Amino acid sequence: MDSFLEEEEDDEEAAAATKNAAVGSALLPALHLPSLPPHLYQPGKGRAVGFPAKSKEVCLSYIQDAMLRKQWKRAAEFLTFYIESLEKDFSTEYMGPSEVIWRIGAEILCHRFHNNMKEFSSFIEQMKTLGVKRYLKVCLEHAFHLLCNGQIDEAYQNLSLAESWRFGEQTAIQDKEMKLIQAYRGLLDYYSWSKQKNILLEHGQDGLEDLSVEQEMHGCFRKAAMNLKEIIKIPGVWDLFVKCYVDLLEFYGDYSEAREVLNEYAYNSKFPANPNAHVYLYQFLKRHGESKKSLLSALKILHDIVPSHELMIDFHIMLQKSKKRKKRRLGLEVIFAVLDYAGWKENVKAWSCLARQVKQIVISEKHLDWIKQEWDPRRDWWPAFHFSRYSAKRNWQENESLSYEKALVAGILLGKGCKAQVKRFRILKKFLNKHNPVYLRLSGLSDSSVQP
Amino acid sequence: SLPAGSWVPSVTPQDILYRGILRRKPGRPAGDSCTSQPLPVLPTQLSHFFVDHPEDAFGSLGKLLHQNFYLGDSKLRVSVHSGLPPCSGCPRKNLVPRLRWFSHLARDWLFEVPLGLLADCVHEDLLLQWASLLFDDSPTGGALAWLPPKDVGARTGRLVYPGGQAMNHLCILPHGVALRRGGGGREGVPWVAGTSWDTAVSRVALCPLPDFVGVRSDYHCGVWRVPGRTGAAPTPLQVIRTSVPASCLTVSPHLPGELAVCTQSGAVYLWSVETGLQRLRHDPQTMFFRDHSPWRWSDFTAHPRVLSCADRTGLQCLDTRVSPGGCHFDLFKVGEEAGCQQGERVVLPMYLGRAYPSQHLVTTQFSVYVLDERLPLVPVLKWAHMMKAPPLFAHLTPGGPGRSHKVLLGASRTQELLLLQYRGEKRGALGVLWGRVSSVPTSQPPCCRDRLPPPPLGLGSEEEEEEEEQTFYLSNLEVIIDEEEEDGGTPVVPEEAECPQEPSANPQPSPAAALRYRRWLKAFSKVCGQPPRHTRPPTFGQKRLFTRKELEEPSAPSALQGQARRWLRQAMRDGGCLQRWDPPPSALPEPPEPAEDPDPLSARLTASWCGDWDGWWEGRMSSSLAQRQRALRERRRRQKRARGRRSLSASFTSSLTYQSELSELSDPDTAPPPRREASPPLGTSPPAAATPPSPEEALLSSQSLRSRGIPKERRKTLRDYLAVWADGPPEPPELPGSQASQLCIPSSQSQLSSASQPRRKRPRMGF
Repeated sequence: MDSFLEEEEDDEEAAAATKNAAVGSALLPALHLPSLPPHLYQPGKGRAVGFPAKSKEVCLSYIQDAMLRKQWKRAAEFLTFYIESLEKDFSTEYMGPSEVIWRIGAEILCHRFHNNMKEFSSFIEQMKTLGVKRYLKVCLEHAFHLLCNGQIDEAYQNLSLAESWRFGEQTAIQDKEMKLIQAYRGLLDYYSWSKQKNILLEHGQDGLEDLSVEQEMHGCFRKAAMNLKEIIKIPGVWDLFVKCYVDLLEFYGDYSEAREVLNEYAYNSKFPANPNAHVYLYQFLKRHGESKKSLLSALKILHDIVPSHELMIDFHIMLQKSKKRKKRRLGLEVIFAVLDYAGWKENVKAWSCLARQVKQIVISEKHLDWIKQEWDPRRDWWPAFHFSRYSAKRNWQENESLSYEKALVAGILLGKGCKAQVKRFRILKKFLNKHNPVYLRLSGLSDSSVQP
Repeated sequence: SLPAGSWVPSVTPQDILYRGILRRKPGRPAGDSCTSQPLPVLPTQLSHFFVDHPEDAFGSLGKLLHQNFYLGDSKLRVSVHSGLPPCSGCPRKNLVPRLRWFSHLARDWLFEVPLGLLADCVHEDLLLQWASLLFDDSPTGGALAWLPPKDVGARTGRLVYPGGQAMNHLCILPHGVALRRGGGGREGVPWVAGTSWDTAVSRVALCPLPDFVGVRSDYHCGVWRVPGRTGAAPTPLQVIRTSVPASCLTVSPHLPGELAVCTQSGAVYLWSVETGLQRLRHDPQTMFFRDHSPWRWSDFTAHPRVLSCADRTGLQCLDTRVSPGGCHFDLFKVGEEAGCQQGERVVLPMYLGRAYPSQHLVTTQFSVYVLDERLPLVPVLKWAHMMKAPPLFAHLTPGGPGRSHKVLLGASRTQELLLLQYRGEKRGALGVLWGRVSSVPTSQPPCCRDRLPPPPLGLGSEEEEEEEEQTFYLSNLEVIIDEEEEDGGTPVVPEEAECPQEPSANPQPSPAAALRYRRWLKAFSKVCGQPPRHTRPPTFGQKRLFTRKELEEPSAPSALQGQARRWLRQAMRDGGCLQRWDPPPSALPEPPEPAEDPDPLSARLTASWCGDWDGWWEGRMSSSLAQRQRALRERRRRQKRARGRRSLSASFTSSLTYQSELSELSDPDTAPPPRREASPPLGTSPPAAATPPSPEEALLSSQSLRSRGIPKERRKTLRDYLAVWADGPPEPPELPGSQASQLCIPSSQSQLSSASQPRRKRPRMGF
């Protein structure tokens, strides 16, 4: 679910790798005497240039070729040769052969033995010993692999083992990975907690009480909460962990702590501007029946960050229901902003919202200036963006109700000029004829505003 | 402008580097790429310039001055530029010889271009060339685009690509028509009027639905509209010219007729066909930290009025609705936040709007990032692509609901292709992308690598809804991708690579091929330049190279031929050899037979070359001993014959000489020492051929002379003359005097004795 964990973990890894890696970059500035990248070497000229490196490269290309053709057996054979070449490896490339072997080997094993866990685990164990520098990274990936195959207990054991790993300086260097491993162990604790919670709830319905299960559940809660709390303190994108932690707190009724966590997550400036944080806060507030004002303020911030968020429809509807003019004005702004985005282009809900509000305004003939203010900056590009002949034709073919809503809006905003949208709807035509002065006023107002 | 049909070879490192600099210095680890450095050899370059372009270097000054110089009366025959091979079409040919000589003489002190300026220019150009060798970003984005069919199911999609010899034509290839190798086959339309080199297309961008095609070259950007009907020619809408090379041109996916243009001066423009250019930013500096590259890129975002703007250090989003520089936010920054490595730079950003409206793809030389503009700066996804060269081309094929999206990455120089697929759960929702990019670190199949000498121009892809098959185009390569295994989460890999022209696919020369060949010949002859008027122009004819019969294949190859072909193919596939080549011993090329009579000079040179000079000399001495003995015997025979006609005293003397010499030669101790300590002999004596009794011998007899009525006093003169005449010609002029006198003029011995004998007689004085 809503999580950026994958990439976050990658970030951490790469950040750790940065310090160790000496990078030969093809994009390094062209100095007066720039270095020669390897692709400019011409084989066969002069003496053999770095023969071991060359043969390694050739071997790697053979492996890739075999993988491309799905010849997993052949690829595995070549990989064994490649591993031999590792003995003389002093390369300082950013991606050393051991990492290449780890990646390629995992891929080959997955395909060759169809996720045979035993083979895979023994391979991974070798990889762990091969590259101490990325021990925890390999552990984490192994745990993910186990999880993907449903072996949750093994994954948990694996993570616990990794947590107790000590290897001199390396432990300190891989601090970020360690934090992640702890957090994922907490996540697995949360998982077993919620499983036991469900058992208890079922049993509770039956009227049976199981003390040992309850105690175990509390144990899980403590372990999970401790680990999750730790990772949340570090600035980052921790959607998954935050959700689980808040769920734990909510279950035990610690609402103030949960709110504090969510507020911290949403408003701490050290954290990346994460719209999900505001979404979680809004959902939390909504669950606990908070006042409309606080809900609206949460959504207002979300609107400022991401005007195209799907909660904006809810926001618009809430604003529409409000009696304050200012809020209804904001509602119009919100729905116009939503429809600016390409992702909403064919969203019937959004168009009907806009059509309804615009229609209301036109019928009441009040606040026509609102429409005008919203329309003016969009006048030059909305017609081509939304109301082109091509899109009208396509909308009509694909979705008639969308076509209707769009036609209504187009008719009001563009007047009779927009024949492509309007010509099919007789009722609409009538409506527009009746309210033709509205368009004239919209355009007339704009003209008069331009002229002086 | 260059003549049509000429081909400018691309620069190689060897053009710039010292020869041999590519060698690794000892003591450095393998793979250390920092050891070799290009050193622009300016003196060499300049001397090449003087030699290659003397008319540029000395032309007008030389013309003015050479009249006033006295260059000698002798005719100019010596080739001044002996170091260069003479070639036809050489610009030096038409140069006045006198002027050429003058240039040669004045090279050191007379030049029109100031040396410092020239050196600067050469150096600057070398740097540019070297930079483009290291990494050439001009084809970023690719110059190949696929126009999908307007109606789903209709197979009317078209491929748009640059063509023509200067790549300044816009070609449109309808679906189903095979692309000929080399880009020929279809004529395009020149996209900018006039054909000059700076209009070579380096990017073709298009907006799929309204069929707008943006074309960029270094100094021109153009918009074309491609009508939906097949066969209809594209019509140009607008062309703009930039003073600074444009580095980016993208077509808006939202609004027809809108494009984003970036120039290398750091300016970003929104270009609308209706309203013209709107400058959004002008900043020669890079955005986040200092980087030397003038490369800029711009693309569209989910909001049609917001453009993303990129340089090597990251991406920003600019709002076009507010004043320039007013409202922007950072989308991607090379740095710690995205987990970038040291030296990592943005290579190609791409808006992934067709897959997810708010996502962007950013490739660097190490990784691929997927970014969401709603949560900027933190990449949604990062994947190390493991490609050897930075991916310059990217193409997105949206997967549709429930299917993964495919991103095809391509590199220019190494010709790698990488297909990624990623998947998000819900459209338009944030953060639900739990994508696993499954990738195979593939390079192109080797068979294709061999056949694609020029780097690819771009990537395009064709999407076919009905068939579970996708075709990706990579300049002249077509890769068919099977999508069967997608559901299993296994990486989809290019199963099969088809080159448009298999070597065995078309054994018979088609009429088109013959036509092309003829065209090539025409172009070739043009390149060779105007022939001199007095000689006949060289003619080229296809008929003379191959007769029609030779070109024709037998209608049905015999079984043996078929089998041979199968073997050949099998052997080629296995990389083995068809038949072991065991040359019979007799077939070994023998060293050239030594001539019957090896030239003694060359024999000596050969010996001294081999370092066996001493041995040669010994052998020479012994053989000359035998030769001299033989020669002496011969002389003795002649002298015996002539004895009867001589006076007693003379015969006595000569016999004495003969005796003493014989004893001399038979006794090595008393032989004159070979002049070994002195300088080696300058010449060698010719083999003393045993001359058979010639007709002159009979002539010389006094009886015959008398019978011819020649007076007695004149007989001797005649005899001497004839003897000299008979023996003279075989005598090599470089013979040492002493030997020559002894060996070759025996008959005149008596007459010459006063001159030559005393020295010979000296050893006998004590006798």
